[in-house]
This record gives sequence, C-alpha cells and structure tokens, in this order.
Amino acid sequence: MNTNEQLLKTTLATVFNVPIDIIGEDSSMDTVSQWDSVKHLNLVLAIEDTFNVSLTEEQSLEILSFPLIKLVLAEHGISFS
Amino acid sequence: MSNLKNLLKQIQATPPRERVYADYLAAANLAKEAASDLQFPTLKVALLRNFTIEPLLPVLEVEILLAGFSPEIWVNDFDATASDVLGGNANLEAFSPDFIVLLNWLETLSPILTSQFLSQPREEIDEEVIRVRQWYRDIETRLRNKFSAPIIVNNFPLPSEVTLGILDTQDTQYQLHTSQMLNESILLDSKEMEDIYVMDAARIFAADGFFNCFNSRHWQMARAPLSQIALLRFGYELGKFIRALRGKSKKCLVLDCDNTLWGGVIGEDGVDGIKLGTTFPGSSYRSFQEEILNLRERGVILALCSKNNEQDVLHVLDAHPEILIKKNHLAAWQINWDDKATNLRRLAEELNIGLDSFVFVDDSDFEVNWIREQLPEVSVIHLKGNTSNYRSLLSSFGYFDALTFTSEDRRKNEMYGEARVRKQLESSASSMEDYLVNLGLEAQIGVPMPSDVARCSQLTQKTNQFNLTTIRYSEGQIKDLIDDPNADVFYLRVKDKVADLGLVGVAIVRYEAQIATVESFMMSCRAIGRGAETALLAYIAERAKLAHGANVLRAQYLHTPKNETLVSSFYKNHDFALISQSEKDTNWIFDLQSSNLHYPQWMKILKI
Repeated sequence: MNTNEQLLKTTLATVFNVPIDIIGEDSSMDTVSQWDSVKHLNLVLAIEDTFNVSLTEEQSLEILSFPLIKLVLAEHGISFS
Repeated sequence: MSNLKNLLKQIQATPPRERVYADYLAAANLAKEAASDLQFPTLKVALLRNFTIEPLLPVLEVEILLAGFSPEIWVNDFDATASDVLGGNANLEAFSPDFIVLLNWLETLSPILTSQFLSQPREEIDEEVIRVRQWYRDIETRLRNKFSAPIIVNNFPLPSEVTLGILDTQDTQYQLHTSQMLNESILLDSKEMEDIYVMDAARIFAADGFFNCFNSRHWQMARAPLSQIALLRFGYELGKFIRALRGKSKKCLVLDCDNTLWGGVIGEDGVDGIKLGTTFPGSSYRSFQEEILNLRERGVILALCSKNNEQDVLHVLDAHPEILIKKNHLAAWQINWDDKATNLRRLAEELNIGLDSFVFVDDSDFEVNWIREQLPEVSVIHLKGNTSNYRSLLSSFGYFDALTFTSEDRRKNEMYGEARVRKQLESSASSMEDYLVNLGLEAQIGVPMPSDVARCSQLTQKTNQFNLTTIRYSEGQIKDLIDDPNADVFYLRVKDKVADLGLVGVAIVRYEAQIATVESFMMSCRAIGRGAETALLAYIAERAKLAHGANVLRAQYLHTPKNETLVSSFYKNHDFALISQSEKDTNWIFDLQSSNLHYPQWMKILKI
C-alpha cells in the first residue's frame, strides 16, 4: 500500500480512536460514528500536522470522507497513487 | 497497558515545549482501555466553559495520568456556566469534582470588550467591565459555597489586534489597558476567596505568540479558539496546578557538574579551562546557575551528583571567579565514581526525602538513561541541544511549581546545611540522650495563627513519609477546622541551639462525646529523631483530656508505600492498643483515664 495512504489511515484511526482496519474508501462522517464535529477539528489539525500542509477554510470543511481527504491532499501535492 | 506506560514515559521524557498533540491523542486513546490497569486513584475535574474545549480533553487526561491519577472529566454544556452554577446542575453536584476549572474566552463573555470595543461609548465599557467582574464574583462565590474543590480560573490573553492601532497604547481608556485591568480584577477577586487560583492564559499566549495560539479558522468554524500549541500549553499548565495541589511537587534538584553547571570537564580542563562566565558559551552556564539559585530561593533543595574527584569539584565551587553556586548553597553532594543510581539513593537517605521528590539533571545520554531505567520514580531532565536553552528548559518543566511560598521555603537549604553540623555534634556525643540534651531542643505547640495556615496546609500537601493518614488539606479546610468547636488543629515548631527548624508538624484532632480522634498527624522529615513527635502526641492527649473531657484517644495509621518505614509502628511505640487491622490500615486506642503520654525529658515544651 502507498505509504501516504497508510499514514492517512493511521491518522484517522488515532483521531477517532478506532482500529486501523475499519478505515477505508468508504469511511466518512456518515459511516464512522466517532467522526463528530468536534473530532473533525482534531482531524483537520492532525492532517495538517502529519502531512505538513495548511488547509484552507473551504478544504477543512470539505474533507468529510476518506476519498475527499485524499483529493484535497492531492491538491497539496501529496500523492496517493 | 505496557503500550500506555511506554507512551506516557516517552511523553514525560520530552521537554514540554517539544511535545506533540498526536502523542497526547494516542495516549488518551490507549488510556480509555488501559488506565484502570495503572491502579491510580481517581481525580475528578469539572470543566465549566464558554467555548469548544473538547480538543483540550486528551491533553488534560494525559497530564492527569502523568501526575499519577486516573482522570474523570465532566464538561458542562457550551456556555452554560451561569445557569449551571447560579441555577444549579444536579449532574455537576452528583459528580462532586476534586477540581473545578473555569475556562472562559473573553469574546464570548463580552463582545463589547473585544470585537465591538470601539462602537461603545466609554461609560458603556466601564459598566461592562463591572458586569464581567460581577459575573465572575457571582460564579466563584456560588462555586466556593457549594464545593470544597480548588477552583482554577483563566485570565484573558491580551488583545493582539486593537481597533485603534498605535493609538490604543497611548491612553488607559482603550482596549489593551481595559483587558489588563480586567485581568487584574480577576486576580484580586480570586485572592479574596479560598482556594481559587488564576491560570495565566495571558502569559501562555504572550510566550508562544497570539497568532500561534489562536486558531481563527476553528474559532469561526466551531468556537474553538485554541490552536494545538495553546491546547498543549493549557493542558500542561493545568497539570502543574494539579501536581502542586496534590502534593506532587518536586523538592530536590540534583545536578551533574561537567557540561551541566559549566562547559567542559574539570578533571581534564582544570579550573581555568572550564567554560563559565559572562561571555559565551560560559554565559549560558552562568545563566543556568542563576535559575538554579532562584529555585533555591523558592525552597528547592540543591544537591550535586557527579562522577569526579570530590576535591576537584569542591575546588571549582570555592575558587572559580565566576561561579554562582557555592558549597553553602548545597544541602548535600555525592561526588565520586560510583554509579549515579546508587548515589541518588544515598542522597535520598541523607536528605530524608523520597526519590520521587527528586529532579535529576544531566547532559549525558548514558546517565539519563541509566537513571530512567534504574529509578523510574526520579524525574529526569536531559540537557541537550543549545546551551543557551538550558535555563528555559529547566524552568519549562515547572517541576517545583507550588502555590505557596513561605519563609520556611527560603530557609530550607540553610537548614539542611545545619543538619550537617548537627550530625557532627551527634558523632561527638556519648549517647543519643546526651546529644539531645546538648542540642537544647525546644518544641512550641499550639493552635496555628492565621499567618501559619498556609504553611500548615503546605505540610499536609507535601509530607509523605512521616504522615500517619496522608490526608491533604487546603488552606480553606485548615481554617474551617481551626474554627470548628469539635476539632483542633495543632502545629509544632522545633528549634535547637543550631537553628530554628520552623513549623515542622501538624496534627488534626476531632472530638465526639468523650472520644478524641487523631485524624491527621504528620511531621517534616527534617525534624525526625528528636522526639518532637512524642511531644506533639503528648500534647494532643493532654488537651483531649483536660479541655474536652475525653477519656479515650483513637488513632488510625493508613498505609501508603511511602509512610510504612517511618510510622507504621508509631502508635505502638507510644503504647496505644491495637483494636483492628487490615491490609490498608491499623486502628489504635489509648486510654486517657488510666495512663498518660509523657513529654520527652530532653525537650523544653512551650504551650501556646
């Protein structure tokens, strides 16, 4: 697996305190019950920290699922292929 | 469980300013499963807030774990503090917190004093300051009356952007000064009440920079103003309060010498070759020494632990023209070639304090790792990186932070120096009793004056070894007990020919019908071996009988890992009869009608 993908999964698993193997393409605010609006703040901070990027306000509101996070990070030049 | 332990150790070993949020998050996650395995006593914290504080919880939880407690945190609904406190909240009351933390963000509390400052006439601003101040007083008064828990309240970060720009600082009626005034009134009002403490959010924001601490995006998105840095700092700062109020402050600073107190190696470079002075890099070490002497003024005991020839190091202390730390500043030292864990144990024995009261400072990876491995209870500061940072690295841990500062603190190191003189007297006297008679001991016993209350509370917080029940009391609780007709607080002061040891003992006795019960009995370890504890106990018995008509004196010994050696046989040695015992405690009784407790003959007793 791509190391960035692995890193992203670890980040989500830590923020939501869930096992890493439940994090995948279908993970989103709707499917992960621990993903609430407060945890979302932690997620934004954790992603910024881990990938050393600074998200715009719009991006930080957009990243509501695993695929969307990857799309936004790709805009910052983080590769998931 | 071992994962959690290892992660906690790793966080603890990292200097506070280098710690990262992700570690706290991971540790807090692990703790949800494994915290109970650590078997720490529970510590309940109620957080009353007017902004989104949830991201602080992982940091606070881990800081509480690092202080040796299992966290239980209750957070009120967003901005519901006024109704919860003034109107009452059954959940909060049922929670019965050990600590109450009142966290407020000024913009939520008062847009007039922040974002809308200039749109208001001056009179409106004045009234608003009074309103906010009164809000705090009402909340604090009600909390104080309802709960006995210490209350921690933040002051406000000073404004970073002021509508009037450079004009703002030209007059006292504008924004900066108004905020400063508000912070001052929070402090003054808190000082008037018992056990309310101010957490300096203004300093935290100033030290790291407002824009590093304030997350405007999350403020707008979710009313969550604190950045990760600010969350880490707030959590660490709250941890300091918890440690200080729960008797976890450190007492003794043990310092390495070469490349710690000075640059270079004395055995190789000689007195003239080591780096220490007013020019760089010697200035870094001198500045570090200044901070060490500041800590000494605060009552921190200083000791050296160095692998060197003793005379080489002592010669630097005596003869180096730029050295600040002198021999008479030190309570003890172990300068030899033995391993440092052994030497720390010797220091603990000589100074009569527990190893968990030690902070060990060294630049060597080897020594630092050795102590972490051999003596995990010792806190370790590893000096590394730029020498110019050593001073702030030492103070950043806040290991010695306390909430009282008494005249005894200032004298502590002298006292340990005097203890050395006393030991010499001891070895020259023919018997222990001769020695004690020669010492000219005097014990003063009585009810604490208002000026003694802080010291009495501090003793209950700090005394671990010679403490029969290890119950901690706040200043407010001590005052209440002094006023209680069915209870007594007694203090013990000891002096001798060599020095005044100061207020070294506290006992708390409760009376019911004809039974007097010793609820607490403790003495500072520096007064051990003189029979002063016997004098205090005899006084308790005398008062119980004569002033309260008691015919029985009851007492309990509550076992802790730290008090066993010194006091598990205390009541037995004073002819109390054992009435019950369990793994945790033993209960004792003394018949006041048929027998007496005698004061030591070698001691002059002054009853105040």
